[in-house]
Amino acid sequence: MVAEVTPNRWWQFSGSIQNWLNWVGPILGLVLVILIFSILMESPGRYLSPFNLRIVLAQTVIVAIGAIGMTLIIVSGGIDLSVGSIIALSGVMTALLLNAGISPAGAVAAGILAGGVVGLVNGLAITRLRVVPFIATLGMLGVARGTAKWLAGQQTVNIPETWVNELLVTFPRPAWLLVAPGVWITLVLAIMAAVMLRNTVFGRRIFALGSNELAARACGISTDRLKVWVYALAGLLFGLAGVMQMSRLRQGDPTVAVGSELDVIAAVVIGGGSLSGGEGSIFGSLIGALIMAFLRNGCQQIGWPNYIQEIIIGAIIVIAVAVDRCRTSRSAV
Amino acid sequence: MRRTFVLLVLLTGVGMVVLSCTKPGGSAPDGKKKLTIAVIPKGTSHEFWKSIHAGSLKAAKELSAQGTEVEVIWKGPLREDDREQQIQVVEGFSSQGVNGIVLAPLDNRALVRPVEEAKRAGVPTVIIDSALASDAIVSFVATDNRKGGMLAADRMGELLNGKGKILMLRYQEGSASTQDREDGFVAELKSKYPGMELISSDQYAGATRDTAKRASENLLNRFGDEVQGIFTPNESSTAGMLLALQDIGKAGKVTFIGFDTSETFSEAMRNKQLHGIVVQNPFNMGYLGVRTMVENLLGKGIEKRIDTGVTMVTPENLDAPDMQTLLHPPLAEYLK
Repeated sequence: MVAEVTPNRWWQFSGSIQNWLNWVGPILGLVLVILIFSILMESPGRYLSPFNLRIVLAQTVIVAIGAIGMTLIIVSGGIDLSVGSIIALSGVMTALLLNAGISPAGAVAAGILAGGVVGLVNGLAITRLRVVPFIATLGMLGVARGTAKWLAGQQTVNIPETWVNELLVTFPRPAWLLVAPGVWITLVLAIMAAVMLRNTVFGRRIFALGSNELAARACGISTDRLKVWVYALAGLLFGLAGVMQMSRLRQGDPTVAVGSELDVIAAVVIGGGSLSGGEGSIFGSLIGALIMAFLRNGCQQIGWPNYIQEIIIGAIIVIAVAVDRCRTSRSAV
Repeated sequence: MRRTFVLLVLLTGVGMVVLSCTKPGGSAPDGKKKLTIAVIPKGTSHEFWKSIHAGSLKAAKELSAQGTEVEVIWKGPLREDDREQQIQVVEGFSSQGVNGIVLAPLDNRALVRPVEEAKRAGVPTVIIDSALASDAIVSFVATDNRKGGMLAADRMGELLNGKGKILMLRYQEGSASTQDREDGFVAELKSKYPGMELISSDQYAGATRDTAKRASENLLNRFGDEVQGIFTPNESSTAGMLLALQDIGKAGKVTFIGFDTSETFSEAMRNKQLHGIVVQNPFNMGYLGVRTMVENLLGKGIEKRIDTGVTMVTPENLDAPDMQTLLHPPLAEYLK
């Protein structure tokens, strides 16, 4: 137990500066993106209007919830490529249960749980079968996608009108909510996850695991069990992202979110997460997700074609990591 | 740390320069109000959508020449055929405050919410190509698929002199547009040509050319000796049936009517293996989509349903100039 305190205290010690930098980088990036588009836009008033902000926030939710889960995994030194497929699977699951007459709350819970189960299987494949995360989750990408199509009978599953449909609307039903309920849910989850990651033993162990797995094990952390927990927990979040996706489409679509795992990973990386583990923050990842959403929205409103968007987002990922590397190599000296 | 900031500032500078260089030159000072219409296809790489794009640009050009300044913004979903991405495009345009949206929805349910929210935000929508399950639209501008099926039945009846055994290979379960074509074909055959007998109409071709070919082979194996006429309701089922007929050497020996265009079909018609194709007019769809939206914005009365036309192309009229424009719309003239 005593040994475990060491990584904990080391973090808290250098935490103030490190944290500050982790925060400031992505936020500066976000401000920059918004600023540039406001300058370029013919009518910046519209770009910054509450209406557009509401839309961008609602569009960010799915990637943002995914990024919260992915941050846990990436901080632990892992990766999950099956996010997009889990989103499709849990969306289809929820839609099927809603159609079967299950109460909306039950169906949503089952959809989230389905994501958790897939995450659990990922974790078990990684720890018990000793398959590296990249391969294990690459396999799951196919398995979960196929299962989704199978369950849905290769069609979209339309759902009846319930409150689930209202999770990500632009005009929330009680107007005092200001933004879609899903945005608030994301915010609450993000705060919970950030506190957990920073201030609990569980969270510190995830950092320890990602920084140096051997050392973490030597310190008495049961790394295998911890990994299974991390993947399962992240799976629950991916499941929720799937419910949100279904709510936006108002149908379970087994072909949705192909490739969105890359958006989620990009959000975490832009937000300061390191694919070699041990680094990353929930709020950084959220900002990363916001940066991409504002970029897409801005590119469209200026009237740039899709390929420019793709090029810019690709470049931003590399620039963000390059800036990050530059920074860490300085602070290491 | 200081270097980080220097780097960031530098990046900002470079970014600004790059970005301002690529700013489109369309922001000339507006004398009078210009109507901005966003046209959103299902994807951007298929010929069909390029024709729609060209048609919408033609409408903008014509209307601008007539004194109503119109600008068309063409934007497909970032990932082709991805409903979520298409929703984001619709939302982006409605908050941008374009004057109107012309949309080919990827799904008749999934796109309802963004379209209705756009209407709430003051942006009306004209739907093209595929239906949307909503009353919140200005108009539905698309092919009359039922009429397309009826045209095919008429051609069949004409070629076979009103008698013979007919086989129809359906496209896929749950596809509304092709089902309309199939229904139109069957209804016209029954009502106008009592001498013709539909010996098979319950088989499905499936999504691809490959599945269509397999289904065709099975059908021809069973009915090949007695069948005199065949109808298939879309591009992939027509292509699959054509391949199957060619494989067993029956191509040209049965009367075969297909749907949609392709170079292979023109070739097959020249070889008398295909006796007609029903052709949609995507160019006209893009054109009428934008025109309808502009007329709506100018306060003119609008039909709730506008037919963009179907045409029977046959080996005889294949090389006529108007058929050639239909098969090969003047894309180069409008798409630079």
